Amino acid sequence: MNLISIEDLSVRFSTRSECIRAVETVNLDIARGDHVALIGESGCGKTVLGMAVMGLLPKNARIGGAVRYREHDIIQAAEPDIQRIRGKEIAMIMQNSANTLNPVKTVGSQIAEPLLIHQILPAKAAHAEAVRLLAAMRFDEPERAAERYPHEFSGGMRERILVAIALACQPDVVIADEPTSGLDAGVKSQILVLLKQQMADRTLFLITHDMGTAYFLCTRIAVMYAGEIVEIGSTHDLLSMPMHPYTQGLLASLPSAGLHPIPGMSPSPAYLPEGCRFCARCPAATDRCSTCHPPLNDVSGTRQVRCFCYD
Amino acid sequence: MISGNYLAKRLCYSGAAFFVSVTITFFLLHLMPGDYITNYLLSLTNALPKETVMQFYHQFGLDLPLTEQYLLYISNILQGHWGYSYAYSVPVFSLIVEKLSWSLVLLIPATILGILIGTVLGARSGWKSGGKKDLALFNIMIAIRAIPEFWWAIMAVMVFAFYLKWFPLGGYTSISILTSGISIPDVLYHAVLPIALMTFFIATGNYYVMRNSMISVIGEEYITTARAKGLDERGILWNHALKNALLPMITITTFQFAAIIMGNVFIETVFSWPGIGLLTTEALRMRDLPLLEGIFLLDTFLSIAAMLVADVLSSLIDPRIRMGKDV
Amino acid sequence: MSRKIILWVSVAVLCAYIAIALCAPLLTPYSPTEITGAALQSPGAGHPLGTNDLGQDIFSQLVYGARITLLFGFCSALLAVLISTSVGIVIGYYGGLLDEIVSRAIDIFMPIPMFPLLIVLTAFFSPGVLQISLLMGILGSIYGIRIIRAQVLSIAQTNFVEGARAIGASDFHIMSRHILPNVMPVVMMKFVSSSQRMLVMGVGLSFIGLWDTTTVDWGTMIQNSYTSGGMALGLWWWLLPPGIAVIGISLALALIGYSFEEKFNPRVGVNRI
Repeated sequence: MNLISIEDLSVRFSTRSECIRAVETVNLDIARGDHVALIGESGCGKTVLGMAVMGLLPKNARIGGAVRYREHDIIQAAEPDIQRIRGKEIAMIMQNSANTLNPVKTVGSQIAEPLLIHQILPAKAAHAEAVRLLAAMRFDEPERAAERYPHEFSGGMRERILVAIALACQPDVVIADEPTSGLDAGVKSQILVLLKQQMADRTLFLITHDMGTAYFLCTRIAVMYAGEIVEIGSTHDLLSMPMHPYTQGLLASLPSAGLHPIPGMSPSPAYLPEGCRFCARCPAATDRCSTCHPPLNDVSGTRQVRCFCYD
Repeated sequence: MISGNYLAKRLCYSGAAFFVSVTITFFLLHLMPGDYITNYLLSLTNALPKETVMQFYHQFGLDLPLTEQYLLYISNILQGHWGYSYAYSVPVFSLIVEKLSWSLVLLIPATILGILIGTVLGARSGWKSGGKKDLALFNIMIAIRAIPEFWWAIMAVMVFAFYLKWFPLGGYTSISILTSGISIPDVLYHAVLPIALMTFFIATGNYYVMRNSMISVIGEEYITTARAKGLDERGILWNHALKNALLPMITITTFQFAAIIMGNVFIETVFSWPGIGLLTTEALRMRDLPLLEGIFLLDTFLSIAAMLVADVLSSLIDPRIRMGKDV
Repeated sequence: MSRKIILWVSVAVLCAYIAIALCAPLLTPYSPTEITGAALQSPGAGHPLGTNDLGQDIFSQLVYGARITLLFGFCSALLAVLISTSVGIVIGYYGGLLDEIVSRAIDIFMPIPMFPLLIVLTAFFSPGVLQISLLMGILGSIYGIRIIRAQVLSIAQTNFVEGARAIGASDFHIMSRHILPNVMPVVMMKFVSSSQRMLVMGVGLSFIGLWDTTTVDWGTMIQNSYTSGGMALGLWWWLLPPGIAVIGISLALALIGYSFEEKFNPRVGVNRI
């Protein structure tokens, strides 16, 4: 049974001068208990996709298609209905930066906040729960930590606070947006271990550009390029036998594989080419690729690729 | 609570600012052609017997070397001996204090109202920025600010006092003072128009800053985080946006309070309200240096005090400042 | 109403003002202080805006007065911006002790209120309009130094400055060719907003008598007409034109400044989630 079903989702932003096609006809199913990773480089639209699932896109976004969660279509749903789901049933671990946490509120109050919003616990109990979560996130002296302010913590600790906030209401689905970006290697592995442990009974939708993180946490990977899904498969299959030239290029560009970068740059979402969007950088490109746009095809039961090589 | 270190630093700067201003006034007084006392005495009488001059010299320490004079000057300032006004022939300090209280009659209500109105409107505008109401209000505010204060005052007097005769033409009281003394309702009646205008103006300044502040807060990432928790609009506004948006307001507002003494000049001049502003205009007309310097010092002290208050308040609200982190 | 239209109209208005100020002698046969006829005449032949209490032609006063008012506003703003930009770039670029000293000095000078100081200095020196405008420029530059410095700091930290240094560019070259163009937007914005503020302040200060009343500019015109009971006598043609003139240019400058700010701060109005 699919918990979240992204159907033909398109997101466009129109500014005064141009139309930005951030996400184009994405179809993705996430079943209960799935750990799915969405991999792509910066600017490919993956964060926008994550925001769409939370219903957090800005007002100037033109959205087509649907995002189904249980009986709701998040795109069409009224704001109060989505607010009931956000934070409680579907929670997001926001992308960590200096300003993701409110600088003038204590960390404890920010972790307790979702509990108060969704009226799960009264104030005192919520605070106690926040302390408990901090302990679960491996903070020494969680009571003291709860009284501190965000700027007093390092990047890694802030990431753990963000995880605590996401988990506060025991959500079924967790969307994690770049949980390890900007962290040192040692801190990164700590976070990964923590996440693996916490996500054991939950559904995870991981958004990242880091293959290693995806490999560690997820059983299924979807690769995104220029607003489209270009390949989907189980982690094992995809990493051992990448099919789409972009996926192959990604793997080849890893340090462990010899650091062979993919030549060229991804197209701007405002000026997308006709035909296959990866064509300009693809070693296997043919004439057909520059004029015809390949659809996402099933290759086997769990594998899908968007490439004419596999027609 | 407040980092002692931080407070000490701010006090040092304030002290330095105080010394700089006092030094400026000192030097100006002493650079005047002829000297202070001769000028003062000349304004009283034409003939100057030498003994009188020597007497004054001695009393005001003008026969002392410059450095000692400087120290004497500073101690005089601190004790409230701010010299004598040429034009009014009374001590500057007492003159200023007397007029200041009249200015405050206008200032205090206007500032409080202006800050409240401006902040509330600015918050609303910023929260719904880009909307029809916001744009309309914003343009109105720009127009109001573009028109000089004294012009608003003149127009107000013309329309409301002269043509419509709803309010008196100026002054702080009517002729009845001669027979029945100062009556509070009468003074208040005279104060309505000036206070209204000042409120108007103060509100526009606060509006602009609050609006910008709110807009920039809305774009911050922690607002998105709050939304992701399922918080509704009202909750975001009250629990997250406001506190952060008010931060820059504190600094601006306290600044305004100090600066408004100066801006008061136009309103008081047009309305002939006997406060510091009118005093400034008249002192300027008569080139009464000691008096003008006294007003300058007053303004400086108020400004320094305002900055200190702003610092203290900011540190109370923003924990980053409190703990000495460089914001 | 499109923002572009507002911008162009404001610029046109600004140019019109400047043109009028420059072409004053072409627009009117009288000098502003010439006694040309009977006092307090209503607008009519030969005197499009009538005459004041001394018999001077008001229209002449208006167009000649534009010169002083505009000159004051733009000169002081220009000086303020020149000072704050050059000082801001130098201390932002070099940093270190120079930056420390200047920044601390600014911290100390900031609470000192500019206008009372200006008034005190004026009472002391009794300078003319130009000198007052220079004074105001100097005093007004202090706050701007901070702002420019902040901009410069954020630019100087980017790598292309390192790169320029690596290829042997001199400091001056870097400052003028790389940093200056990048702070230009802020500088332009400051210039426009400062012009507006200082111009209006200038009229205000002249209204309260900062320079002697024989200098004809819009502030003294308003002062004269107000204190001579111009409004009591219903002489709208004496009181209103200078006031409306000030409002006109003040609005134009304010709207231009606002368009600039919009351009460089695109968050306004778009980003509501």
